[in-house]
Amino acid sequence: MATQWDPPPSHPSTTVVPVGPDPAARLLVVPALAGCLVALTLGLYGRLHPPTGIAVDIVGFSSPATVKAWLATVAIAFGLVQLGSSLVMYGKLPGISAPPWIGGLHRWSGRIAFIITVIVAVHCLYALGFGTYTPRVIAHSVAGCLFFGVITVKMLALTRRGMPGWVMPLLGGLAFALLILIWFTSAFWFFSFFGFRR
Amino acid sequence: MKIAIATPVITLIVGAALAASFLFTDMQVTSVKKGDLAAATAVAPGSAAQPTAAASTGASAGAGGSPSASASASASGFVIPPHANYVGQVQGDLGSVAIVVHDTFAVAYFCNGSTQEAWFKGTPHDGNLSMTGKGNATLTASYALGHARGTVVVDGISHVFSIIAVHKPSGLFQSIAVVRGATIKAGWIVLANGTQVGSMEPNELAANPTSQAAPKLDVSSLTAQYEGTTIAVTPIDGETGSGF
Repeated sequence: MATQWDPPPSHPSTTVVPVGPDPAARLLVVPALAGCLVALTLGLYGRLHPPTGIAVDIVGFSSPATVKAWLATVAIAFGLVQLGSSLVMYGKLPGISAPPWIGGLHRWSGRIAFIITVIVAVHCLYALGFGTYTPRVIAHSVAGCLFFGVITVKMLALTRRGMPGWVMPLLGGLAFALLILIWFTSAFWFFSFFGFRR
Repeated sequence: MKIAIATPVITLIVGAALAASFLFTDMQVTSVKKGDLAAATAVAPGSAAQPTAAASTGASAGAGGSPSASASASASGFVIPPHANYVGQVQGDLGSVAIVVHDTFAVAYFCNGSTQEAWFKGTPHDGNLSMTGKGNATLTASYALGHARGTVVVDGISHVFSIIAVHKPSGLFQSIAVVRGATIKAGWIVLANGTQVGSMEPNELAANPTSQAAPKLDVSSLTAQYEGTTIAVTPIDGETGSGF
């Protein structure tokens, strides 16, 4: 007697269940609004106040621009640690199980990277402002404002329980992508234009 | 658990506080430099004998750590250095440009290391320059401490640039010499990374002088070898006033 064919257990159902919006995503509304406010504030400040052309110098560098280029590069290095540690935490690196200190590494590398970007951003906004005079500068200005908006959303979202699982990877990925864009439109451009120097 | 929830917010607050303190420090430095300008302009209305007074004011007040102690402020709020050298490549890398500002006078030079070059002279106004050179060449730029940007048009080709302030040995160099009866006029731009680009007119006084690549500039001895003759080269330096 022929046995009746059973569908494989991994695909048990062909019924289409309509998926509504994830109610947990509502938790993101307030952080997202706060992030928008931060990005908008930075952009408006950078656009409306007259750039001074000067800021506090740091000893050992030839100009404020070189300071920023090197600080941004250090921030990128910590950003790469962020990317690597988050991949480990989410188990995306085959063969590597998350060590107990990985969370601490992720938090502290993130804090250091964030502080460094704040130092650079203050100088940018105060001395140079939100520029629109070349496509590179526009991209850099927009990405810079968005970066701090995304960081704000991510930090505030961390404080809320029950967020959908995609929120942190999305926000972290956005922040990292923006950081890379910011670096390529400033430090990379600077080093390729003027050469490596202090 | 409560502390673990709050830490990201603490991170944000620390970042905001740091930004605020940097901003405050920056504003202090800027106001010091603007004060310097007020003192400098009040003391030295174009007189060469007065700069010692202005310089001493700058030295006493310029505790902000910037090399340019007596920067000035324009009506728009930019802080304008009275003496500065800016060099850099134009966008697209079709040449380099140098702008040298010394008090109320500015000299600029564009060259591509071969047949295109132009010298410009002009007067700065509030950190803005609008200069003209031979053959309808024009250069417009705005500059502030550390940075200048603008557009230069030479031989009908427009180049956009965004260049940085440099100190010796980078900068602008010029040589005007008579070699075998012909007056040559050469210019070199030494970029921040030490590379140089130079063009020259082998017969500047000709009706339609042509340009060619300049011989190599020896930055240490300020000479160049042209057709077996050693020619002297003058730095055009806004910080020392050399070449003005």
